[in-house]
Amino acid sequence: MKIDTKVIHGAYKPDGETGATVAPLVMSTSFTHESAEDIEAVFNGRAPGYVYSRISNPTIMAWERRLTELEGGMATIACASGMAAISTSILALAGAGDEIVSGNSLFGGTYSLFAHTLARYGIKTVFVESTDVSAYAKAITDKTKVIFVETIGNPKMDVPDLAAIATLAKENGIVFVVDSTVTTPIMVRPKEFGADIVVHSSSKFINGHGNALGGAIVDCGTFDWSGDRYEHLHDYHAKAGSFAFMAALRNQYFRDIGACISPFNAFLTNMSVESLAVRMERHCDNALELAGRLDSDKRVEQVRYPGLAGHPGNKVAEAQFDGMYGAVLGFRLGSKERCFQFINGLNRVQNLANLGDAKTLVIHPASTICHDLSEAERQAVGVTDDLVRMSVGIENIEDIWEDVNNGLDSLK
Amino acid sequence: MELQINGEGVEVGDAISVSELLKVQEVKMPDMVSVELNGGIIQRDTFDTTVLADGDKIEFMYFMGGGSRRSAD
Repeated sequence: MKIDTKVIHGAYKPDGETGATVAPLVMSTSFTHESAEDIEAVFNGRAPGYVYSRISNPTIMAWERRLTELEGGMATIACASGMAAISTSILALAGAGDEIVSGNSLFGGTYSLFAHTLARYGIKTVFVESTDVSAYAKAITDKTKVIFVETIGNPKMDVPDLAAIATLAKENGIVFVVDSTVTTPIMVRPKEFGADIVVHSSSKFINGHGNALGGAIVDCGTFDWSGDRYEHLHDYHAKAGSFAFMAALRNQYFRDIGACISPFNAFLTNMSVESLAVRMERHCDNALELAGRLDSDKRVEQVRYPGLAGHPGNKVAEAQFDGMYGAVLGFRLGSKERCFQFINGLNRVQNLANLGDAKTLVIHPASTICHDLSEAERQAVGVTDDLVRMSVGIENIEDIWEDVNNGLDSLK
Repeated sequence: MELQINGEGVEVGDAISVSELLKVQEVKMPDMVSVELNGGIIQRDTFDTTVLADGDKIEFMYFMGGGSRRSAD
């Protein structure tokens, strides 16, 4: 099956009992078992089964299996949000005294998690220029447990070379974690470029309708967990082999942290994903057209979009992203005041802290999602005071342009 | 030939692979199962090519129930 068929038919057969074509919504906290022996077998891992929806649930698992198939991975754990997916996976991989090497071009929430929250617990993050492979190499120590990047830095819009970073991670026996939120499996399956673990905020394009928070951890099944760096996972490796990380999450880290997705959110997400391929095509077509128009507009100082020929990440994006360039773009208007004038001049485009919705969205990152970062930190993540981030929706491009033009006409 | 599956003797056809065993035993949720063969976990990508022999000891294990860390020891 091709990816645009997999989003519809992947990993689900109509329910045997009822013939239901949609994976049923099971809003049950817990699950009963015939005998004490039966539930013991599930707890001991001798039999499959559900116990408690914080750990697993039929609706959630239907969504997990579909995402696994879309990514070409081995298994998935759906989480409450993208941040839950990142936090849970990092806490399962690293502990006090360990280090993360991360590209510096990150979503503000991820940057804050790495720079501040995890630091409090003794996990140090070394930030490097996202696109500079030699910088990752220099930052690796014997304490490094994770190499982390976003497929397209948000909102810097730079594009790391996944295959090159994956080679480096492999040479050093380090897990390579890729956040593919803004690209989705439609644009790239990071496993094909050597990623070991893929994380998503499914609240964005995958859901696409702004109605269900969610995140996911996909284990590509490629990593050898018997390596020296991951001694804390060796007992899981002895019992679960290549499934070690997923077993460790499901039986310990994910279970203990408890950042699970609601079955209802998983249900909505699994339904929305069926249109992901056609939505992404339209999102990306609209974004490319809008970026071109903004780029040639004198009222705009700079446009950051990997689909533009002059963008430094254009070639890498072309090689990695199946002919698409994403639907998030940044542009600079000269000052914070002009950004506010632009946003306040918009009528239809919505001013809010999200991306990947069917609707076109806008935000001024410096005063919102990155407001708690220092000036130096903002510079590192590519956020200037005069930057506007736009997530291009799937409306008619002429209607989007008309409203963007309203905003540009409001500039004084 | 006879295999020991989860501690019980089970008759199966000769020269059966792990993938085939999962099918004939109607193992539930085969994409979620880990398979231990004679004390060692076998990699999922070898399920098709790992052929079982008479007397082999097989353990099927799942990590769905969230049993305690001790259960993985």
